[in-house]
Amino acid sequence: MPRRNRSDGRDGTRRPQRHKGVPGDRGVPRTGDFRCVQCRLDVPVTAPGTAHRNHCPNCLASLHVDRRVPGDRASDCRGRMEALSVSVRPDGEWLIVHQCLTCGELSANRIAGDDNALVLVRLALRPLRDGSVPGRILLAL
Amino acid sequence: MSNPSNSLKISTFVCTWCDLTVSAFAADGTRRNHCPSCLHSRHVLDQVEGGPTDCLGRMSPIAIAVLRTGDWMVVHRCVRCDELTSNPVCKDDNQLILMRMAVRPLAQTPFPLEAFGTL
Repeated sequence: MPRRNRSDGRDGTRRPQRHKGVPGDRGVPRTGDFRCVQCRLDVPVTAPGTAHRNHCPNCLASLHVDRRVPGDRASDCRGRMEALSVSVRPDGEWLIVHQCLTCGELSANRIAGDDNALVLVRLALRPLRDGSVPGRILLAL
Repeated sequence: MSNPSNSLKISTFVCTWCDLTVSAFAADGTRRNHCPSCLHSRHVLDQVEGGPTDCLGRMSPIAIAVLRTGDWMVVHRCVRCDELTSNPVCKDDNQLILMRMAVRPLAQTPFPLEAFGTL
């Protein structure tokens, strides 16, 4: 049975609204922060060395949200993107090539300053790890 | 009597980067999509929507990816519209360029590798 108090606004004493801060204040989440889909790490969107962070600095996983242009948020796939390989620009910057596990789409993003260096080196060493292909290539050279 | 249509059955393409005339099928019967000499390709398939595209830009190799089976793939990037594709390597691809792309990240690391010696 509902309580019959008159504090629900009908007597004119409305409870004042809770104070809502602006993003960036203490306790208010900054917009653009995301939680990693793979390791559940809370990632701030501000990153050292880049203004376009799109992957988790701990496990390098990403989410398929962009379609053709980076940042357009036009894709409706929303699949998890896994780091596939490392590419190097002519000026020496590393790029991570991601592949969507749902639809197989590829994308490239620059690494950030706080990305896990051990995971990056493991990714870069992946073509040279034990397998028949690098041995065959080195024998042919 | 020579049949002129016989010579047309051998399909070739001309590389957009090094102008090498390449047979479209490799020795083991698989279809090539990049030049075996310089590994450059041409943007003919739309990866986002599927089907053919009218970009036809040159695609340069940027990275080596590894499948779970251990086979290598070449990641290409279109120099005109920045789209990425990945294609399996052929047996007769230029091994020097393949190995150079594979070790390129380790030659230019953004952080010192000496710290990993203690691990």
